[in-house]
Amino acid sequence: MSKELSLILTLLSPVIGGLIYGFERIVRARMQNRQGPPLLQPFYDFLKLMDKRSIMIHSFHAFMGIMYLVGTWFSLYVLLSGGDILIAIFFHVLSLAFLVVGGFSVRSPYSVVGAMRELIHMLAYEPIFVLTAAGLYLVTGTFQVSELLKTDTVPILSLPLVFIAFILSLPAVLKKSPFDIAEAHQEIIGGPEIEYSGKFYEAVYTAKWIEYIYAFFFVFLFAGSNYLLGAILVVLSFFIVNLIDNSTARVTFRQMVSFHWYILIPLVVINLMLLALWRA
Amino acid sequence: MEQAVTLLIILPWILALAVFLSPNHRLRQVLTFLSLPILTYLAYMVWSSDLPYFIETPHWVELGITVFDYFLLGYFLYQGFKFRSFLVSVLAIAQIFLLTWVLLILPHSITPSIYVDRLTAFMYLIVATVGSIICIYATKYMEQENVERENRFVAILLWFLGVMNFAVSVNNLEWFFALFETTTLASYILIRFRWDEISIKNAIRALWMNQVGGIAILIGILFAVKYYSVYNFTDILKINAAAISMIPLGFLSISALVKGAQMPFHKWLLGAMVAPTPVSAILHSATMVKIAPYLILRISPVIKGTLLAKLLITTTGFVFVAAGLLALTQDNFKRILAYSTISLLGLMMLTASMGSSIAVLASLLLILFHAVAKALLFLEAGIMEKVFHVKYIEQMRRLIEKAPITVFFIALGFMSMTLVPYGIFIAKWITLEEASKFLSHGAYIASIIFITIGGVILALLYFKVIGVISRKRGEFVSFKPEKLPFLYMITTGAYVLFTIIGSLFIAHLSSDFINLIVKDISGEFANVKASGLTLITPVSQLYGWQIVGAIILLMVVPIFAYFVHFKADKVYEYTCGENIPLNIGTYNFFCVSKIEPFIETTAVALFVLTLVLGGGLV
Repeated sequence: MSKELSLILTLLSPVIGGLIYGFERIVRARMQNRQGPPLLQPFYDFLKLMDKRSIMIHSFHAFMGIMYLVGTWFSLYVLLSGGDILIAIFFHVLSLAFLVVGGFSVRSPYSVVGAMRELIHMLAYEPIFVLTAAGLYLVTGTFQVSELLKTDTVPILSLPLVFIAFILSLPAVLKKSPFDIAEAHQEIIGGPEIEYSGKFYEAVYTAKWIEYIYAFFFVFLFAGSNYLLGAILVVLSFFIVNLIDNSTARVTFRQMVSFHWYILIPLVVINLMLLALWRA
Repeated sequence: MEQAVTLLIILPWILALAVFLSPNHRLRQVLTFLSLPILTYLAYMVWSSDLPYFIETPHWVELGITVFDYFLLGYFLYQGFKFRSFLVSVLAIAQIFLLTWVLLILPHSITPSIYVDRLTAFMYLIVATVGSIICIYATKYMEQENVERENRFVAILLWFLGVMNFAVSVNNLEWFFALFETTTLASYILIRFRWDEISIKNAIRALWMNQVGGIAILIGILFAVKYYSVYNFTDILKINAAAISMIPLGFLSISALVKGAQMPFHKWLLGAMVAPTPVSAILHSATMVKIAPYLILRISPVIKGTLLAKLLITTTGFVFVAAGLLALTQDNFKRILAYSTISLLGLMMLTASMGSSIAVLASLLLILFHAVAKALLFLEAGIMEKVFHVKYIEQMRRLIEKAPITVFFIALGFMSMTLVPYGIFIAKWITLEEASKFLSHGAYIASIIFITIGGVILALLYFKVIGVISRKRGEFVSFKPEKLPFLYMITTGAYVLFTIIGSLFIAHLSSDFINLIVKDISGEFANVKASGLTLITPVSQLYGWQIVGAIILLMVVPIFAYFVHFKADKVYEYTCGENIPLNIGTYNFFCVSKIEPFIETTAVALFVLTLVLGGGLV
């Protein structure tokens, strides 16, 4: 990907992410046999939020919400500009750190509990992301996204179990059921986002759209230079994630962590071991 | 050159004596302050001279060290009787017996006993800068605690620096044993410093645990003499790695694991928390525990790729995760730091035992940046204790309102241990990339899992603490930095500056400076290059704009956060209309303590496996 294209894509990512989010709401509604909101609904929400009276707890908290947006955007740019996958993953941790510190900085029980759960989310899915990166390296011989998109091999053929594990960890990344414990509306009323409103909530909201692109870009990488296959994989995983979201109920954080650690990580490891065996 | 090395060893002892004898507090401060420029200059002299370098020592030094050994062990025995500690006495007797045996069979060797290479000079530099700054800080700290015993305290700290310098420059394993046990003595005296019941108890525990490490070294020497007929590091490194018996190296690794407070021997380092804070700072950052990765780095070219190395990777990787998990259950700030040291020491030894040039580079980066970050955090812990009178996380609530600068430094210290682009993160990153190359062996896959899981657990831990201290009631009306004593500001400020600048120029630091050490250890340069701020590794690149971007995000943001004021209406927190008292604790993860027995059992099992299978005792 050329520098200009990656820059343009990164700048447009909130729009693309918003469209994906709008599309997702329609898909989910159809799965539940409802009509659903129009495609542009997220942008209507956006405009409405911009227009709201801006209220906040204190500036530090609001500022951290904005930094969450900037950090996520930055990590997406690292990915799109052809940087190192591991670096992108750790930049994403950095952006989450802002959200978490923001969540902690107010004296609201919901926000604090939500921030803590956000960290536990990270505990669950982070190893799978890094192991996925290691798996992609094992197949393609590079950690650079720019090189990965040019490689002749199709990583998913050698990494089917890694791919399955990665897809199953997406609900935790995107805070979807059954792993939406960080912002469980029925229990903690939105978690770390609860105290944001108006423009400041807007920042957090947009960051979530960008996170969509960030997560699905990894799925795209599984196809290597075969962009068509990549697009198919993204669409497929998008439907699977939404199907899981619609058909499951929330679990506890212990179940989430043990699912990731005891089922998904071994799945990845088995794939890597078999691959190493195959090579040797 | 020879004089510089001798001075590096002797001068701290002389300064210590001068500080001990000087009657006046100011004079003591000046004397302590002298150690920083002098030791740094000497260490730099050694670094810039033609290395590696052997130094012949006169015969009487050897004799002197043997006599000193017996005095030391006799003292341990006396302490064992005095405090009625069965373990200390028995271990001291065993050591005396083994030492006599070693001395009887030790063949004559023409290899000089002092060997100074880049690794040694690197340790000198850390001891000289990080260590001396802690000593300077200690003069101020003791001013607020107990001036009468200040001379004693600071003198021991300074003396400890000399001992450490000596320990990293010996080539002869028997001398290494002597110095290893001298650091044990130093830590024993320092932990006991307050002379209350719990201090003595913990000091005794530290003593016997480290004695176990000493015994492992002695047995290692016995086997080394039996199998290779040599007992110098340089001679052992010359032996063909394929033909070598691993038993002596297995025992040496065990002693490193004990000194590095790896589980199940972690209790002594935790016990050290009862001592005054500068003790913890110096033990954790510049001296003592750093012997552990140093020792593994010394033998890493020989053990690279062997079963011993793989078992060491598994053991230390396990400790990296387990110590992080146990740290989550802690409430005492210093104990959290202690557990995270144990955890990161595991990571240092993991990378050191991988042994490839890039892994060695990662290990050295970890040693350097961990020394600075831990020194910074412990000094902050001391400041909080003395200025704000808080020791527990629960007491640190809303500290940001009272002490913005301290909170900023603590947050920086914590972030420098987990996040992009700080040195420790970069070491972790290149280790992950390096380990990905060897996925054919389970130990390397395990190491990736351990590094990532341990990494996020530590992130969880640090953000838990940052979260508690950054919670606040309302807006910053005006920025009021707290008034800290000048010496506190200047010492911690130095570490903060180094962390930021060192991480910014990490590419040049590792390719021009650390790489020279890698060459001396593993015989070849690590394949990393710098172009501008960009760090280029064999498989990937960390671009300069990423480093700068991350530093701006991390540095400017917290500073901005004090000054940015949005125009918006202020409201109180939304609590669903419930009228609850707003006094929120933090997660304490008691659920983790349930698995503590399991963790200890596994740690013991891994220790035994490392020794028996890795060392090839079967």
